Amino acid sequence: MFGYHSNYLRIDVTTGETRRVALDALTLRAYVGGSGLGVKLLLDESAAEVDPLSPEAALAFVFSPLVGSPLTTSAKFAVVSKSPLTKRINDSLASSSFAIAGKKTGHDALLIVGRAPEPSLLLIDDRRAWLQPARDLWGLTNEKAQARLRETLGPEFQFATIGPAGERQVRYATISHDGRHAGRGGSGAVLGSKNIKAIAVRGSQHCEWAEPTALAQLAKALSEKSLGPATAKYRELGTASNLLVFNRLKVLPTRNFQQGSFPNVEALSPEQLGVGREQTRTSCAACTIGCEHLYSLGNKKSGTTAKVRLEYENLFALGPLCGIDDPETVLAASRLCDELGLDTISAGGTIAFAMECAERGYIDAPWLRFGDRPALLRALEEIATGTNLGNRLAQGSRRLAQKIGHDTIAFAPQVKGLEIPGYDPRGLQTMALGFAVGARGADHNRSGAYEVDFSEAVDRRNVGPEAALLAVETEDKAAIMDSLILCKFLRGVFVDYFGESAEMLRLVTGWDVNADELRNTAQRIVDAKKEFNIRAGWTPAEDTLPERMLSQPLLDDAKAQLSPERLQTLVEAYNLARGWTRDGFLEED
Amino acid sequence: MLIQVELFGIPRARAGVEKTTASGDCLGDVLADLATRFPDLAETCIEDRHLRTGYTANLCGERFVTDPETTLREGDLLLLLNLDAGG
Repeated sequence: MFGYHSNYLRIDVTTGETRRVALDALTLRAYVGGSGLGVKLLLDESAAEVDPLSPEAALAFVFSPLVGSPLTTSAKFAVVSKSPLTKRINDSLASSSFAIAGKKTGHDALLIVGRAPEPSLLLIDDRRAWLQPARDLWGLTNEKAQARLRETLGPEFQFATIGPAGERQVRYATISHDGRHAGRGGSGAVLGSKNIKAIAVRGSQHCEWAEPTALAQLAKALSEKSLGPATAKYRELGTASNLLVFNRLKVLPTRNFQQGSFPNVEALSPEQLGVGREQTRTSCAACTIGCEHLYSLGNKKSGTTAKVRLEYENLFALGPLCGIDDPETVLAASRLCDELGLDTISAGGTIAFAMECAERGYIDAPWLRFGDRPALLRALEEIATGTNLGNRLAQGSRRLAQKIGHDTIAFAPQVKGLEIPGYDPRGLQTMALGFAVGARGADHNRSGAYEVDFSEAVDRRNVGPEAALLAVETEDKAAIMDSLILCKFLRGVFVDYFGESAEMLRLVTGWDVNADELRNTAQRIVDAKKEFNIRAGWTPAEDTLPERMLSQPLLDDAKAQLSPERLQTLVEAYNLARGWTRDGFLEED
Repeated sequence: MLIQVELFGIPRARAGVEKTTASGDCLGDVLADLATRFPDLAETCIEDRHLRTGYTANLCGERFVTDPETTLREGDLLLLLNLDAGG
């Protein structure tokens, strides 16, 4: 079969047993790869019904038909499991050479179950997989563990690792590869629960493309388009440039979502961050956009060499959300999260929530205050080292609120347990809907509904049910992008997204796939995630927002206000637009 | 009529200013005025009284506008920004 190896490798790390499981063309065409195929594999494993940190839980690294092709931004992989943070489906994506090397092992996915008897390294070298003791790696940061592995195994292997946070099963621990993270939902904790510190992959198995010449031509044209104005923002400024725009529109979550703007925001802007710091740009393997902007930690005088990748999400979560206006602190906190293997959004969200609880007297931690720079860094360290408070913060804001009581759950910044990204839902109400119904919780990657709010299609602070179909459209596009897999920063270059995606898939696989089929595929993937969640215990009451966001306007924008009734109307319109029952269950057929 | 303009992201980088004023009674006129005064901004972001693909405008922080015939009023504030808000 073109584009695929037509199998996945199932590895039981309790016994070391490996089994190659066939994947038929119907399944691959129905779920494509990446997130879509991952959800299908997990449903087949009955993964929804088990504790995500138990040995029975499954964790899948899933590649896609486009990996290894000349198409720009296609070097990506999805990590799919039940989330220990939300107890719902979790699909987190990461990029670069691990995807290419992983697929070259001759498998479309690597599915891990069991628990290794001791801290271990999982090696997959072509079609052979085995475990090695890795006590010497346990405790190392991501960067040090990957450097050690590179030194030991050589440059032909690529590595995915967990940091100390994953080892300790912090519920929002990441899996890291070459400075990038499968970040959200705690897949690092799942790997840590299996006693796997690292996975090393190397291979020599290549896939054939159905129409290689036409594919090369299309890839060339796509690369040229990827250098145009639609990606200029990412290339020249990076996602951090959102900060000033969001602040100006008063949708920048500040001090645990109490405000939508931050007084000293200019100090954190990319323009100011570059002053007196070395700034470099890099890209994932097989990418022509080059969106990654790295800033030196410390100033030029200090002679430091540490570089920190800075994205909007870590900037907002470790900056304004915690009331921090010092760029050096935000950079240090981002680096700490990278090293320890912590999701920056959940870490920042949980700490911001704890800061508010401490200020209100619900947590006995007088040092933990909004705007306190050392406090942010101390809190991150405590999460990873496991102090009394750190252990509570490691559970995420929802569990922390449940532990504290006093109705603090009303201002815990989460949906289904996943901390809310940097888009205030009151000022971006189509995004509010996207967050509420998101299969993995508050999610700006699986729903791009903010695009609707940033358009003439709706009044972003007074959105009606007509926004539901538009929200569905952005979710469907994301479902296909995350299954093909292509980078979302490319989305602006497509004129006919589904049609052009279908053409890519056709040239890779030879299937006569068209735009309508891909739209149906998107719905199937979203349905599969819903099915997973229903099996895991989902109820309609979960599709909501924290009470604060449904009862209080933003302090600095009185027009930015939602109500439970308005959100419920939007959710019902969304469910009906999806073809589900009004309260969000799949129809019997 | 003079309109206040704030620029963000690529529009700011191309114009080299954070704020400026521009004259015109509608969005298209204001964009044409900006294009005349800021050639680098025009080359990337403005084409024939329209914003190019990838860019948008917001009026007074209230609503997004792209139609060049959108009427502007004295005291209006126009924000020019990248269309793509995500990341």
